[in-house]
Amino acid sequence: MRVTLQVKPRKKPFLPIEAETIVPAHFLDGTDLVVWKGNRELPLSDVFSVTVEGTAETADEVEITMRGDTSRIKRVGEYMEAGRIVIEDDIGMHCGNFMSGGTIEIGGNADGWLAREMRGGSIICRGNAGNYCASGYRGEKRGMTGGTVEVFGNVGDFAAETLAGGCVVIHGSAGDMAGTEMRGGTLRIEGDCTRVCGNMTAGTCYVFGTVHDMLPTFRRRGTAVHDGVTLTAFTGDIANRGKGNLFVRDYKYMD
Amino acid sequence: MNEILIKNACVIDPISGINGEIMDIAVSDGRIVEEVGSGAEVIDAEGFLTLPGGIDSHTHICGTKVNFGRYMSPEDMRAGRTPRRGRMHSTSGYSVPTTYGNSYRYSGMGYTALLEGAMAPLEARHTHEEFAYTPLQDTMANVLFDGNWAIMEAVREKDTKRAAAIVGWTLAAVKGFGVKLTNPGGTEAWGWGKNVSSITDVVPYFEVTPGEIIDTMIRATEMLALPHSVHIHCNNLGLPGNYRTTLDTFDLVPDLNRKRQTLYATHVQFHAYGGTSWSDFCSKAEEITRSVNEKPQIVIDMGQVMFGKTTTMTADGPMEFNLYRLHHNKWSNHDVELETGSGIIPVLYRRKNLVNSIMWAIGLELALLTKNPWQCLLTTDNPNGAPFVRYPEIIGLLMSRKYREAEFATIHPDTEHRVSLPSIERELDWQEIAVMTRAGQARALGIVDIGKGRLAPGAEADIAIYPLKIGEVDPGREYERVIEGFRQTEYTIKRGRIVSRRGECLVWGNNTTIWVKPKISERYDMAQDPAFVEKFDRYYTVRMRNYPVQEEYLKRNLCIETETEL
Amino acid sequence: MVTVEDGRIVAADNACTLGEQKFLGEPRLKGPIQREGKGWKDITYDEAILRTVEMLRDAERPLLFGWSGTHVEAQCIGVHMAEVLRGVIDNTSSVCHGPSILAIQEVGHPGCTLGQVKNRADLVVYWGCNPIEAHPRHLSRYTRYAEGFFLPNDYLDRTVIVADIRKTETGNIADEFVQVTPGGDYAVLSALRAIVRGKRDIIPRSVAGVPREQLFRIADRCLNAKFIAFYFGLGLTMSRGKYKNVRNAIELVSELNRHTKATISAMRGHYNVYGSNEVNTWMTGYPFGIDFARGIAFYNPGETTAIDVLARRECDACLVVASDPAAHFPRACVEHLADIPTVVIDPYPNATTAFADIQIPVAVTGIDAAGTAYRMDGVPIRMRRVLKTDYPSDEEILGRMYAMLQEDHPP
Repeated sequence: MRVTLQVKPRKKPFLPIEAETIVPAHFLDGTDLVVWKGNRELPLSDVFSVTVEGTAETADEVEITMRGDTSRIKRVGEYMEAGRIVIEDDIGMHCGNFMSGGTIEIGGNADGWLAREMRGGSIICRGNAGNYCASGYRGEKRGMTGGTVEVFGNVGDFAAETLAGGCVVIHGSAGDMAGTEMRGGTLRIEGDCTRVCGNMTAGTCYVFGTVHDMLPTFRRRGTAVHDGVTLTAFTGDIANRGKGNLFVRDYKYMD
Repeated sequence: MNEILIKNACVIDPISGINGEIMDIAVSDGRIVEEVGSGAEVIDAEGFLTLPGGIDSHTHICGTKVNFGRYMSPEDMRAGRTPRRGRMHSTSGYSVPTTYGNSYRYSGMGYTALLEGAMAPLEARHTHEEFAYTPLQDTMANVLFDGNWAIMEAVREKDTKRAAAIVGWTLAAVKGFGVKLTNPGGTEAWGWGKNVSSITDVVPYFEVTPGEIIDTMIRATEMLALPHSVHIHCNNLGLPGNYRTTLDTFDLVPDLNRKRQTLYATHVQFHAYGGTSWSDFCSKAEEITRSVNEKPQIVIDMGQVMFGKTTTMTADGPMEFNLYRLHHNKWSNHDVELETGSGIIPVLYRRKNLVNSIMWAIGLELALLTKNPWQCLLTTDNPNGAPFVRYPEIIGLLMSRKYREAEFATIHPDTEHRVSLPSIERELDWQEIAVMTRAGQARALGIVDIGKGRLAPGAEADIAIYPLKIGEVDPGREYERVIEGFRQTEYTIKRGRIVSRRGECLVWGNNTTIWVKPKISERYDMAQDPAFVEKFDRYYTVRMRNYPVQEEYLKRNLCIETETEL
Repeated sequence: MVTVEDGRIVAADNACTLGEQKFLGEPRLKGPIQREGKGWKDITYDEAILRTVEMLRDAERPLLFGWSGTHVEAQCIGVHMAEVLRGVIDNTSSVCHGPSILAIQEVGHPGCTLGQVKNRADLVVYWGCNPIEAHPRHLSRYTRYAEGFFLPNDYLDRTVIVADIRKTETGNIADEFVQVTPGGDYAVLSALRAIVRGKRDIIPRSVAGVPREQLFRIADRCLNAKFIAFYFGLGLTMSRGKYKNVRNAIELVSELNRHTKATISAMRGHYNVYGSNEVNTWMTGYPFGIDFARGIAFYNPGETTAIDVLARRECDACLVVASDPAAHFPRACVEHLADIPTVVIDPYPNATTAFADIQIPVAVTGIDAAGTAYRMDGVPIRMRRVLKTDYPSDEEILGRMYAMLQEDHPP
């Protein structure tokens, strides 16, 4: 089954739409779904032109394509378990939160909290992702616990905060404090970043660019070769009794 | 006039000596009466179990510490959220719910009166503000005196009358209900990061011992003729081998009051531990209950632990720091100048953890080995052992050996070598449960005379009707029906109004804060004691005249004035 | 001591400089005003209340912002309004100590009341704050110049350490000043944590401008103190890393408790911002930034906080109570305020007035209205009324609005 959701023009276009209903499984029972615009409940069809081609028995066989300005549509793919969502342009906050299976592909940029507390499945973002990409929730010790997130552009601050499992790959650069409070899983940053992995207790992080303002509380262990590149290996964060592994190609302290 | 006639109620009212009689209850103007007019609203109770409204004699629901538990736990808040609906405001939270969350959930379970277990006098206004937003129950607050400088000085000078005068002035000033001692002496030592380790240990600088503080406060409380006895959280909470401290404390207690106990020891599960470390940790519930069974002057509450997530919070600052070192999770601490301390950490009690399994068993042992149910009341020290919404399961465990065995099979296998629970056959009956959840509380708190905990004419019309037909349920076998039945009332009636119907709260609320004002002669009025006033203004950061809680903070309230020896 | 002449306060003795400004503040509006063309016209309180209620009713995502400058009783009504309106309610935490709250939500908060510090603290650390200017009474009442029960010789008995990016006036009266390179607080705090844990060997020659020897000395001063009071300000909460800086400071203090007694507290601004946090918490479960759009309370600072909602233009009406966002918020936020219907409830005209459609003047808590405020250490204080005027209180105005809104939603 192929579902196409084309955004319609709306009054007050900046008001966010909360559309956690957009997950493949929901379309098995038709398109009579509701979304929220601020404090008002609206039929899905008020916000999107909905077209459905073909049929499906299970969510795996459902592919949703979202077209138009979806930058203010929040919570798409929340709790998704199977199937596929393709977003042609930008997507709003909280895309793929708590997702446990299936695939989300974003053609443009993703706003904050992409893949927050993700448990499984995979998300690919062709553009940039905002702050708190693949992070956790306020006050919670464990963030993402499984699955993979791959961002081809740059990410904002606090990427992979409290990462506890799964794999996060950032092809561009990361902002400040990526991998902070990490306790498991793998974070891979191809570009540069600042103050990476503060307070980490476990897990593994690779930085193939330069870490600026490298934290002084990681103990240098020697070098290691990873994917053909020689990296300096550290253990930390010593400030936090940490035993995480941090590998960086280049680093500069703030003296 | 608002009148209700409840027909066909199966009443258990231990204070009035009614045990499972089918009868009618007439309610007029908030009180139970002999009869009502023909215009009364009729409720058909269909033979369902009808009890006086539930009373929690030790819970943490309102005030600085509880609110800090909420403040630091957004992850707990999202675990239980409901929107505004009808006359119910929105709620959030599981182990530390919002004030409305507490009030609605307690009401749905038939509870109509709650005692906040620990109020720091300096921050009393906060507790009273939250009471105003806990609308469906009567509320009382125990006032912390464990590290009170003026009290410790009076103890050092062996001046019980002065201690009583300070207690009297403070209770009236902060609109409190009773005297709470949390780790007496230990909270002051914690001001320096230290603690006390027995009732004969000396508090730094003040040169008094916990035992001396406890003894003086017991005598001061009786001198003031307070409705409730001293309410103690013993020293050494949560430490292996602490049962000795608990027994030493119990041995201090004289029998000074004809109407009630002389000492109320709270959450005794946390104080009934044997062993010398976590590796040989074991239950000493048999020793503790042997002492309780010999001493009618003592009442305890369980402090039952139930498996799952919760938040621990107590005025016992050093104990919470020890827990923090064990769990290495988040930790908050809040010391209150010249008075007390407090600490908060989140915990997860796990079935697969041996220590947690033993703790779970100890609470049940205390209730089952205490012969007289009036001496062991049902609590979890909400939310420390578990959130109060777990009470129905505890009732199930106390009424059914089969349920205990089923649960025992799922916990850490070594538990059986450390506890006596598997050998205990006793199954509590409906009457004993009624004692342990309302009648016993009313008597222990000294509020039977103001109409609490009973259903005879003249009593307050606080009534809980549970969807349980006691003649048709065998609690030993059908414990699940018991649990379901106690989870939600058919009707909760508070002050003669139906406040909750099958969990749906039907009125905005507005209930009574009960507080105590001992009548004290001018000679013992601390407000006119130059040394007290001078020290107060010098070392507190608020002026003495700004300290008392103004009348504005008490919406509907009942002041119990006591005739004292001062 | 306050002197009143003709219903105006003409002198305030024994108040600190901030208090004096508050008492003798600028002239107040006489009554509600509504924008008309380029000017303003007077309207009645009844009209102002009705129009505000209509504005809020029509909104699909109203924002109720401010609250820090009013009393608890009014703040409670505000929460009930947000709940029934299904709006977003936020206070000024998001521009001051919101990061401190986020940090506390991660690691907790070992704190105490101010009297503990006054009576016991032999070591006081001020990090990223300048109390001589922002909290003029703090040093004389509780720390440097205060006599305490266990510290009878105030100045001699106490040691003061100040850490900041430049030497402030408070730095001048410190026993030790620590100059941190801007943006380097997190690294310095991490280094101190490692030192306290006994890992001196990994500390490089200098960390963010602080020499290793000084780091060791500070750590030793802490370890040898009997009672440490650590205070931090916007220098920590609003510099790079924000709440992670505060978290690191809290974890340093928690670590120090394994060796001695240590407490940490935020130097908070608006007099009752903490009251607003407390009220929001007992009523909704969250201290600030609460979104009721879906009926249940949702909390996500960075999304549900006023600055973010306004900058992203995610609200369509705004009620501002007892604060001045136009004076403190980024330009994009203020521009959106100008674009949407905005009502200000405040005794005085302020920068936000210029962007408002209606302003409703009210009594000032502690002057002509009574009410509760929470001190920065959580101690609730009764603010007394010293003057009787005809101005209604915030509680009264908001109470009338809430009563009208409730009629829309009969139970």
